Amino acid sequence: MPEVKSIFREVLPKQGQLSMEDVPTMVLCKPKLLPLKSVTLEKLEKMQTEAQEAIRQQEVSLKEQG
Amino acid sequence: MEVSMDPLFLAWSYCRRRKFQQCADICTKILQDGPYDQAAWSLKTRALTEIVYIDEVEVDEEGIAEMLLDENSIAQVGQPLLPMTQSGRPITGFVRPSTQSGRPGTMEQAIKTPRTASTAHLTWPSIPKNLIYQGNKILSLQTLFEYIFHHENDIKNALDLAAQATEHAQFKDWWWKVQLGKCYYRLGLYREAEKQFRSALNHQEVVDTYLYLAKVYQRLDQPITALNLFKQGLDHFPGEVTLLTGIARIHEEMNNITSATEYYKDVLKQDNTHVEAIACIGSNHFYTDQPEIALRFYRRLLQMGVYNCQLYNNLGLCCFYAQQYDMTLSSFERALSLVTNDEEQADVWYNIGHVAVGIGDVTLAYQCFKLALAFNNDHAEAYNNLAVLELRKGRVEQSKAFLQTAASLAPHMYEPHFNLSILSEKIGDLQSSYIAAQKSEDAFPEHVDTQQLLKQLREHFAAL
Repeated sequence: MPEVKSIFREVLPKQGQLSMEDVPTMVLCKPKLLPLKSVTLEKLEKMQTEAQEAIRQQEVSLKEQG
Repeated sequence: MEVSMDPLFLAWSYCRRRKFQQCADICTKILQDGPYDQAAWSLKTRALTEIVYIDEVEVDEEGIAEMLLDENSIAQVGQPLLPMTQSGRPITGFVRPSTQSGRPGTMEQAIKTPRTASTAHLTWPSIPKNLIYQGNKILSLQTLFEYIFHHENDIKNALDLAAQATEHAQFKDWWWKVQLGKCYYRLGLYREAEKQFRSALNHQEVVDTYLYLAKVYQRLDQPITALNLFKQGLDHFPGEVTLLTGIARIHEEMNNITSATEYYKDVLKQDNTHVEAIACIGSNHFYTDQPEIALRFYRRLLQMGVYNCQLYNNLGLCCFYAQQYDMTLSSFERALSLVTNDEEQADVWYNIGHVAVGIGDVTLAYQCFKLALAFNNDHAEAYNNLAVLELRKGRVEQSKAFLQTAASLAPHMYEPHFNLSILSEKIGDLQSSYIAAQKSEDAFPEHVDTQQLLKQLREHFAAL
């Protein structure tokens, strides 16, 4: 492949002043690592969902009876 | 002829294999035939207790009153570089019942009500006054106490029993003193609890007693006393993991993450499979801009067999920021397939949104943040990030609305206030901009851009 000569050339100014304006930009919130759960917490949550499930089934069976 | 195993032996075997429900069922059958079988009573009580047993050291009942009118908890100093929980506590690598936030009502219910709706309660006659003699006949007192405390959750009667038992032992039995202390703690009588635990330590040095006592001091908002106590405990039990973890947690709660990490490293020297320590060190590396090191810690957890949504989410984030793009999306896919509730789902989508922002796919990012909101309508960070994307599209009003929502949902975060300040300044509402910038300063005093903005605005006002 023949080498393509770029028509643009980089410019490195050797004199003059370089100025940069520091404009504040909006910030994003940080990404969120999720904390791992302790064994105790997992057991508590499991017991709670089981209890809720039991209550729900009781209600269902009550409705069926009534 | 079929030879069947002795039912009591079978029940005992189930108990040892931690199949407590089956164990209790067999005991119930034995007791139907012979209601005075002491061994069956004892075994059934133990099995029912084990089903609902939770480590008392780990549980910290924070009632709604404590959450809202928090007079005892350790003062919160903001460190806005870490994401915060809804209540403004820093998120660390690990979550326990007492550090859980956002849903005090449900956790409280889980602890306060008798534990399970399904397990048949022992048909124990209403607990008699002279428990000692009654108890001695059928059950050992310890078994009875643990049943009342853990299964019935009837702290008042448990306290009665423990008080009688400790008297019976002529105030010389450390075990009963610890139980008394546990009851007092549950009833909120922290000074009484302290007395009992101290007295128990005089009889016998036990690690658990140190942990309970430290819990009392933390509840009384005396973290330094608790720290000293842990160190005292370490003199008697050098290198004890639970004591080291206790110290690390206090440092963490006081936002002294560097010391916390040091102690977690000490924990790992003793026990290199300690999940909490690995997770906390990992998250600390991630938020101090070392995602590739954090990745190594989370990969270690994966090797150890931890398999859940949180871990895959964290792996996905670490992979992305450590430039291991091949693993990023598959980790997030795995995380999404393992979610157990809407809040988790929202958080995973929120993080995928960050990946999308990172690769410059604004449309995908927009959709991800929207999805996060669909699963959790109170996701303040997602509102904030959506606002940033909206402003890039030039929709000023929409962006402003999102920022205001984010700021009202999470006033402890500086980002929405700061963004609102910039936005207001751009559209010429300098007064609002100044107010928002002040709020941002309150949330994060060291934020340089906020300081600059405030200075600029003050100069403006002075020139008027």
